[in-house]
Amino acid sequence: MEGETLHDQLMALAGELTAAGERPAGACPDPVNAAMIRNWTQALGDRGTRWAETAPPAMIQVWSMPGLNPDKPGSIADRALTLLNDEGFTGVVATNCEQTYDRYLRHGEHLRSTMRFGGATGPKRTGLGEGYFVTWYQTWYSGDERVAEMMFRVLKFRPRRRSSGSHAAKGYPLRPAVGPDTRFFWDGVRDGELRIQRCAECGRLRHPPGPMCPACQATKRDHVTASGRGTLHSYVVHHHPPVPGLDPPFVVALVELDEGVRMVGNLLGCPPEQVRIGMPVEVSFQEMDDELTLPQWRPAGSPTPSPAGTETGAGARSERGPGAETAGSEPGPEVETAGSEAETEVETALHPEAAEGLPELRVELTPTFVIATALATRDFTPVHHDTALARAQGSKDIFLNILTTMGLVQRYVLEHLPDVALEGISVRLGVPAYAGDTLTLTGRVVDDRAVEVRGAVSLGDHAVATVRLKEQP
Amino acid sequence: MTLSGKTAIAGIGATEFSKESGRSELQLAAEACVDAIKDAGLTPSDVDGLVTFSSDSSSEIAVARELGIPGLSFFSRVEYGGGAACGTVAHAAMAVATGQAQTVVCYRAFNERSGHRFGQAAPRSDRGVTSTGMEFSWHLPYGFATPAAWVAMYARRYMHEYGATSEDFGRVAVAMRRHAATNPKAWFHERPITLEDHQASRWVVEPLHLLDCCQESDGGVAIVVTSAERARDLPNPPALIRGAAQGAGPNQMMMFSYYETDLTTLPAMGRVGETLWRQAGLGPADVRAAILYDHFTPFVLVQLEELGFCGRGEAKDFVADGGVELDGHLPVNPNGGQLGEAYIHGMNGIAEAVRQVRGTAVNQVAGVENIIVTAGTGVPTSGLIISRF
Repeated sequence: MEGETLHDQLMALAGELTAAGERPAGACPDPVNAAMIRNWTQALGDRGTRWAETAPPAMIQVWSMPGLNPDKPGSIADRALTLLNDEGFTGVVATNCEQTYDRYLRHGEHLRSTMRFGGATGPKRTGLGEGYFVTWYQTWYSGDERVAEMMFRVLKFRPRRRSSGSHAAKGYPLRPAVGPDTRFFWDGVRDGELRIQRCAECGRLRHPPGPMCPACQATKRDHVTASGRGTLHSYVVHHHPPVPGLDPPFVVALVELDEGVRMVGNLLGCPPEQVRIGMPVEVSFQEMDDELTLPQWRPAGSPTPSPAGTETGAGARSERGPGAETAGSEPGPEVETAGSEAETEVETALHPEAAEGLPELRVELTPTFVIATALATRDFTPVHHDTALARAQGSKDIFLNILTTMGLVQRYVLEHLPDVALEGISVRLGVPAYAGDTLTLTGRVVDDRAVEVRGAVSLGDHAVATVRLKEQP
Repeated sequence: MTLSGKTAIAGIGATEFSKESGRSELQLAAEACVDAIKDAGLTPSDVDGLVTFSSDSSSEIAVARELGIPGLSFFSRVEYGGGAACGTVAHAAMAVATGQAQTVVCYRAFNERSGHRFGQAAPRSDRGVTSTGMEFSWHLPYGFATPAAWVAMYARRYMHEYGATSEDFGRVAVAMRRHAATNPKAWFHERPITLEDHQASRWVVEPLHLLDCCQESDGGVAIVVTSAERARDLPNPPALIRGAAQGAGPNQMMMFSYYETDLTTLPAMGRVGETLWRQAGLGPADVRAAILYDHFTPFVLVQLEELGFCGRGEAKDFVADGGVELDGHLPVNPNGGQLGEAYIHGMNGIAEAVRQVRGTAVNQVAGVENIIVTAGTGVPTSGLIISRF
């Protein structure tokens, strides 16, 4: 293949894999059975009463999981993922998981599954680095009858180079100078906290901060943590000249915080033509590179985008927690870290306060919950149960697996709409849901065929889902 | 004690205005200074003081060396970009009025188009942990990195509060280009624009179109300040300095005083205006023309309000009624301003004010007894009132 570029090689391989069509995947060792269903419902907190005859549809992938099998079969996409890996695209994040349920499975049914390659697209510039999206499909059959299908997409990316020294950073070029009077602010931002300087004598809030209170001349100062809410006081849309590190057009906003001070930042997640003075906004922390996080703004109530989001301009970076970039440098569907993309545009205009909004469901992500759900979905990947190993791979802690995320979306919808039948779940994956965090699920009934669900953790949106409902008979 | 009337501008000088001077900034400074000194009927050995902008690349001693000035008794620099323009003359006037110097030359010379361009976004703040570096650090990381963007933030709020439109800003640009069209020294000589041209020009930073932003120029301008008595004996009619003021507002920042002040106002300019009117014993009705710093059109509107030529939010109507045209209520920048003539950081406007008072301008406004001049806005600024002797 001398002389051929990676792109050419990858496209050729993708063509070959696609042409190969559907291939048998790993066996489904056990029939659909009550014991695994009970394990699953207990671990996920599903009431479980409705599953006396059929299986929870979101369990579909569980039936074909290889478990602790040392010779577990590879994915249909392995050759493509390995090629990318060898060419320096060593990072991987899962971005999309879409399941379609042709019908609910009955206890006792024996299943088999197949895989087929879905394609490779790129190169795309994403917040994590340049990368290719690789897609494959898994299909489940009962006899010759297709019963379910899943589309799975990952981003294989070339991680941005880590800097050696604090000033040698090759990352985002527009860096603030940080001094003794402002360090508390940037420390806060790194910890996901928006801090406002407060005079320790007279209590006056002040931003930007400074060493002496202009009201009482005191130099003693502390800070409060801002609510992160405010309204847009003014804004501009930058087109020209080019600004290093950003793709125009991008919006710079002057935000008046609920606490009364003003701050400047980019407004993300809002097309320039929809920006309005007076609109409510909320803070969102955007990791620009390994060392710099900026407090940014989004329309209030809008979902946090995916880490790998391909938003233009100032939004083309990850808004996420630490660790996602390095987690999982080995290819394979079992590697689950934060990620998503905007290729398949999921309409995510969630408004929890809307009239048809569903009540909130809070799930405490205790270590027990994270581990029990991973094992109940027959997922033995260490990042879901081994804290030391997860940290060694760059994650903050063990984190929820995708099979559980799918299951929790199903649980949320069926708890609030017990009479519906699910046709499918499409999830755009966001930041990791780490042990110790709380997953808050909110949702909105779009119409009698669709429910939107948003699962948020402290770092932002973990999953944004559209649940498709079967037509009511 | 007052500065008013004690000093005068006796000479003005300039290089050509271009997009590529082809020579060093020091040479431009020296040429402009020599031109001004000759215009005053003096020689370099008569000069004992030099003042320039903090941002100028040619030091006072370097200019003195080139000109052959035997020695300096006074030298000073004025901060804050284009806000320094009238401030250089204020410093010179103070030095002359207090006897610190006899004759002071104020100069500004740069290759702002062919060399370092202020409108480009700096890749990173290299100002470090200085107070100014800290100010920039709240803005640069968001790509909020150009003067056009910083002014646009004010402009958007002004539009929101007062219902001003892009066309209202555009009318300022159209007027300035019309003035420049009949000024042979102007870069845009014989190149007027229409409001449609303005609206069709590309966005730079919304809500500012390209034609809301002044051009970039290479060139130099110099101004000779001496005592009023001495100026009377020199060849050109003296332009008396009736008012000279600097101003900064509350919680002032370089160009982003967004945090505690009303974005539809320019408190620094309001302060300068009050001082000037008080010093000169004049009011808005007493000036026949104005030189208003026009790096970006929206701030021309706000200046009309800050200086008392109209009420808050009324400047758009003032301009729409033709108020700033040569035959209008208050002709503004008859030379074409920085939008039309050249961007020499406001110094070419001071020279135009002197010509208007002398009665020698190409677009001469009839009966100019007094004229007000302002410097860069958004930044801490300065102003002058210049009068016929």
